[in-house]
Amino acid sequence: MRAALTGIVASALTLLMTTTSALATDLRMTVWTGSEAHLKMLNGIAESFKARHPDVNVKFETVPVNDYTQKLTFQVAGGNPPDIAWMMEDAAPAFENANLLMDLGPTLKAAEGYDFADFSQPAMGLWQKGETVYGIPFSTSPFMIYYNKDMFDKAGLEDPLALAAKGEWNMTKFQQVAKKLTEANPGKWGFEFKDGEGYASRMTHALLPPIRAYGGDIWSNEECGFDKPEAVAAIKQLHDMVFKDKSIVPPGEQGDYFSGNSAMTVNQISRASKMAEAGFNWGIAPLPGGPGGESPVIGQAGLVVFDQGKNKEIAAEFVAHMTNKENVATMAQFFPPARKSVLEADAFISGNKLVPPEMMKNVAAAIANGRVHPAHEKAPQLLAAMAPRVDALWKADADVDQAIKGICSAIQPLL
Amino acid sequence: MTDSIHITRRGGQKSRLTLKAREMMEAWLFVSPTVIGFIIFFLGPLLAVAYYSLTEWNLLTQQATFVGLANFENALLENPDFWHVVRNSVIFALGLVPLNMALALTLALALSRPFRGVVFFRTVFFAPVVTSAIAWAIVWKFMLQGEGGFINQVLALVGISGPNWLREPNWAMAAVIITRVIKMVGLNMILYIAALQAIPRDYEEAARLEGASRRQIFSMITWPLLAPATLVIMVITTIGSFKVFDHIYQMTGGGPENGTLVLAFYIYQQGFKFFNVGYASTLAMIMFAIVMVLTLVQVALRRKGME
Repeated sequence: MRAALTGIVASALTLLMTTTSALATDLRMTVWTGSEAHLKMLNGIAESFKARHPDVNVKFETVPVNDYTQKLTFQVAGGNPPDIAWMMEDAAPAFENANLLMDLGPTLKAAEGYDFADFSQPAMGLWQKGETVYGIPFSTSPFMIYYNKDMFDKAGLEDPLALAAKGEWNMTKFQQVAKKLTEANPGKWGFEFKDGEGYASRMTHALLPPIRAYGGDIWSNEECGFDKPEAVAAIKQLHDMVFKDKSIVPPGEQGDYFSGNSAMTVNQISRASKMAEAGFNWGIAPLPGGPGGESPVIGQAGLVVFDQGKNKEIAAEFVAHMTNKENVATMAQFFPPARKSVLEADAFISGNKLVPPEMMKNVAAAIANGRVHPAHEKAPQLLAAMAPRVDALWKADADVDQAIKGICSAIQPLL
Repeated sequence: MTDSIHITRRGGQKSRLTLKAREMMEAWLFVSPTVIGFIIFFLGPLLAVAYYSLTEWNLLTQQATFVGLANFENALLENPDFWHVVRNSVIFALGLVPLNMALALTLALALSRPFRGVVFFRTVFFAPVVTSAIAWAIVWKFMLQGEGGFINQVLALVGISGPNWLREPNWAMAAVIITRVIKMVGLNMILYIAALQAIPRDYEEAARLEGASRRQIFSMITWPLLAPATLVIMVITTIGSFKVFDHIYQMTGGGPENGTLVLAFYIYQQGFKFFNVGYASTLAMIMFAIVMVLTLVQVALRRKGME
């Protein structure tokens, strides 16, 4: 009898659990962050979505950044796309043109208190075609200079933040400072390219800020910009810094800024979460200006919903929730917003737990004045075509002019 | 005779199957896991790749257009990158195979006889074979850094200024070959040890009694008797060298200046980075043909050797 009762109870519980799980909706969202702080924040937003949709669970799936677009593509091709995904700016055009993304416009515009017009128009450029909204930027993050204050102090130098405040932070000063830092810190370097990948996967991120400072661009209007005089001057300066001054971490060497092996690097404020464990005093400053004036570079990432997803309507609602004013303000500590109201609010400047207000002011200014990294449908092919020519550039005895011409002749047919 | 035997089941019922049929059925049941696995994981994908190689298939748009042999024409006749990649693969094989085999034979000759500690040394040289290829490549990538790398610091102690190994095309290829040889030589060493131990000791003893020197014993007895093993090792190593991917992926990414862009990595690049699945399948079919030819050569030479 007792055994029979136990059986009935067990069956009832199983049925209950099965029914509950059958009613619940699980949304899968791919992200490229594995940062505990980022995931904690994202899980908090998913939890707050339950207030309106108690039956919806959002799971964040971390995919390593280097393989991110590739793995996402294969999930799509295999008929198993995530419901929602972070999407990099360089991948967006290809996914949009393949008609893989859902039009989020109707859901976002219908969401209560959403205020779609609050998103700055330039920030939406990559994600909107006419009335169709393919994605919504959750991060409009300018490239900034991260500096190691201790290494500057050791070299007896004014730091980039102070120099920027005086209007003296330009490409010439950048070269001088990097050289002095290298001399004052033997075995270390003055500057490291973004994430130490400036000669490989982030070759355009390494070249773009100085080229823009000189008034050029890597490409625009389907035309290669590397061989324009402004870009050539910028690249020659970088080449001198690597091989004559030896102040930039050279190809084939490791000089991680975050481990204290370089005095400066370029990165975005999402990396501020890494600085807590860096073990040195640090700061954030604008990119050095140049003959082209101040021309910050913005890296952008958006949230998209896949059109073939089974739960695309509820996924779009989650995107609306995630990018409402309140949550954009929450995410702003790591991912600078494209919402004008959040960007202009005092909380964005003064409410960041990791970055002090005097530095956040520069971040806000860079978002306001910056231009995004040029996107292209064939971004992977462009990078692969460039790579061997860029390799030829990064040699001590390189014919820089010739190497630059090689870059343009390789990418122009693809542009 | 067996055909006519009928099995009587318990209860007096006669089985409708003959013994031979039952045996065949059992045999198929035993081999079915392998056969099913072969069909699903090898034959099926192989046939699919053969078909895809005749299409232009973009993974993102999911549109496949039948283009006949256009991809083969593109690879073999129009695309200069393809022949550059084949050249790199051949250079890699020409560098790796002789070096690997010479080192493997030397180690096998030293470690085929029992002596105190022989097992330890065999283990030491075999250990890299079972080490994760990616971990191996990462460690070597650090050791082969420019001025700050361990290898160059050691060279500096003896007054040699080492190159920036992985950033100069020729040195990068040499570095990848050497680190690959160190990783894989243990496998060929074991094969050579097995072959050496299979040679009857009587031959060597007889030669020694006749006054043959150690060099003569090696060149006139050991080496000829090792020929079948050498042939197998050579073909296996050559095939392996054409398929190298992990080392290149981790250490050089095909660079610098495409100096280490070999066939397997090029296929990966086309298929997984550019999503040109049709063209990548074509390249895979060409690689399959190369490996198939090498395998047939091996089979033919072995048959000839056995005759």
